[in-house]
Amino acid sequence: MAKRWRTWISDRFGLRRVYEGTLNRRVAKSSWYYGDGATLTFLLGVLVVTGMFMSLTYTPSPDGAYESIRFITEKQVLGWFVRGLHYWAAGMMVVMLFFHLFRQILVGGYKFPREGTWLIGVILFFAIILMSFTGYLLRWDERSIYALKVAQHMFSRLPWIGESVVVFIQGGTEPGATTLTRLYAVHVIFVPVLLGLFVIWHIYLVIIHGVTSQEERNQPIYTASQQRQLYRAQARSREKGENFFPMTVFKSGLMATIVFAIVLTLTLTLGPQRLYPEADLTTISRPIEEWWFYWYSGLIALLPNTIAPWFVVIFPIVLFIILILLPFIDRSPWRGFKKRLWPPIVVGICVIGILYLTDLRRRSPWTGWPDSEPPPVPAGVVLSPEAEQGRQLFAQYGCNSCHPISGHGRKVAVDFGQIERRLSQDYIRDYILQPPEGIAMPGYRGRMSAQDLERIVEFVLVAQTFPRSQ
Amino acid sequence: MERRTFLQIAIATGGLVTAAIVAIPVIGTALSPVLRRESGELWQPIGALENFPIGQMTRANVTVPRDDWSQTLREKGLYVLRSSNAELIVFSRNCTDLSCPIVWDEGSNCFFCPCHGGIFSRQGDPMKGPPKRALYRYAARVRNDTVEIDLRSVPPMA
Repeated sequence: MAKRWRTWISDRFGLRRVYEGTLNRRVAKSSWYYGDGATLTFLLGVLVVTGMFMSLTYTPSPDGAYESIRFITEKQVLGWFVRGLHYWAAGMMVVMLFFHLFRQILVGGYKFPREGTWLIGVILFFAIILMSFTGYLLRWDERSIYALKVAQHMFSRLPWIGESVVVFIQGGTEPGATTLTRLYAVHVIFVPVLLGLFVIWHIYLVIIHGVTSQEERNQPIYTASQQRQLYRAQARSREKGENFFPMTVFKSGLMATIVFAIVLTLTLTLGPQRLYPEADLTTISRPIEEWWFYWYSGLIALLPNTIAPWFVVIFPIVLFIILILLPFIDRSPWRGFKKRLWPPIVVGICVIGILYLTDLRRRSPWTGWPDSEPPPVPAGVVLSPEAEQGRQLFAQYGCNSCHPISGHGRKVAVDFGQIERRLSQDYIRDYILQPPEGIAMPGYRGRMSAQDLERIVEFVLVAQTFPRSQ
Repeated sequence: MERRTFLQIAIATGGLVTAAIVAIPVIGTALSPVLRRESGELWQPIGALENFPIGQMTRANVTVPRDDWSQTLREKGLYVLRSSNAELIVFSRNCTDLSCPIVWDEGSNCFFCPCHGGIFSRQGDPMKGPPKRALYRYAARVRNDTVEIDLRSVPPMA
């Protein structure tokens, strides 16, 4: 009876052909780490569902956006959970996106006959990055407004059309109501619709062309038809092939589940991204981009200032062109990385670089900032009254806006608590009054009394004798 | 012409014309902010002259006129240096590297950018970090003891 019903449903709703074409087919055996694509699809699903339900409340107007997110987070039943899931799924999506991209470069996933799959994947890559950016602009807190400003500034560097592009994105010469509606429309309608279509197309091509199999990685393949023959033989073979359902689905699903467990854990422990003060262009603030962009920000900070302004315009364009051209440049018969040395090297450098730059940006040792708190005195050290006054003046004159003492404070300039060669009294005094040419320090001649100067010099002299940390 | 070819051409033409009738207006309306962009000077008051003591850096806000319907972000922060009785410098608060909001440090007499380490002098000149250009200065004037600036005297990103 049940079987008859099933047959009737699959016949009348045309499900048989879908089942045969997607689930019930032979594929080459895959490793667990081939589940990254499925994981991305799954995360996209989580993002679509949580996003849809947040849009029930979210108000895309500068007057209401911030408050509506606050409402979702604080008042709505389980709103914090839905927002948290959306936030962490988005972050993990970017992480998995890079994993997916790097893995395809490593195994040569862009090689014939999979160029189309790759090219659509490249578009998806940029679309997802755009989503991960526009998403956090909608929070409309200080991080959002300055992230928008920074991105706009990058666009403004485009030759000829820069300013027009800025006005176009912003919906006016200043950010306002039309800015947020634009960002909202891009984030919830324009890009998601395109993303959905391209994801379906991408998966459709994965079904048609399969994914790079172990056999393909072990031997040279010269033509697309040779690849097809090899793949088909492998898929049909008892040892080297498997049924897509349930074998492949189970393995891919396992990876997706593990990643989801991470998303869930982060949501339950850290919750959604905290809301910073509402977007405002008058108060002092220290915004920073979302963590998945740290590496890029760190890179910009490291580049010499002759290159950086152009780099931010050229890098995404060059990256796009390189990725688009990759399948047409690298036409060697080898896949995998046994006979291809450059992919592990390039990917290795990228991964190490991204991790290093992320940490660097997290620390941002280049940023100076006013701080009214004088540097702490190490335990066991007693300062003379003059040196103690000097310590207070050290903060009052903004020395500590750049100079750390024994590792405490901003790290822009020399740490007198950890200096290699001790400086003399005269040297310090002259330096404070008139720093040498080309040194990024203001001269204090004319605006520091002789007494204040002596006190600060005294403190710096003592700081040089502070017990070394570590 | 064969009937088949004619039909093919008719379908393609009809399709393209229909698509254009829909596509051109929607693109036009999306481009509206660029097409409607106003130019010319736009002077706005930022406060009475006496609010800016001589020899000091003072924070000020300017109201940004916009014709949209939201009330927030109507004000923009500025730094004003009144170096002498007659001379006023009105700095944009946006770093010239990537528009992050700079802060004035009275202690060291420097501007700090929170993003990539830009540091500017009291005169707005770049001292350290990525910025190559000095801070943007608004055109300023004094009318009836009120300081006014021209909002359009700096680029949109300033």
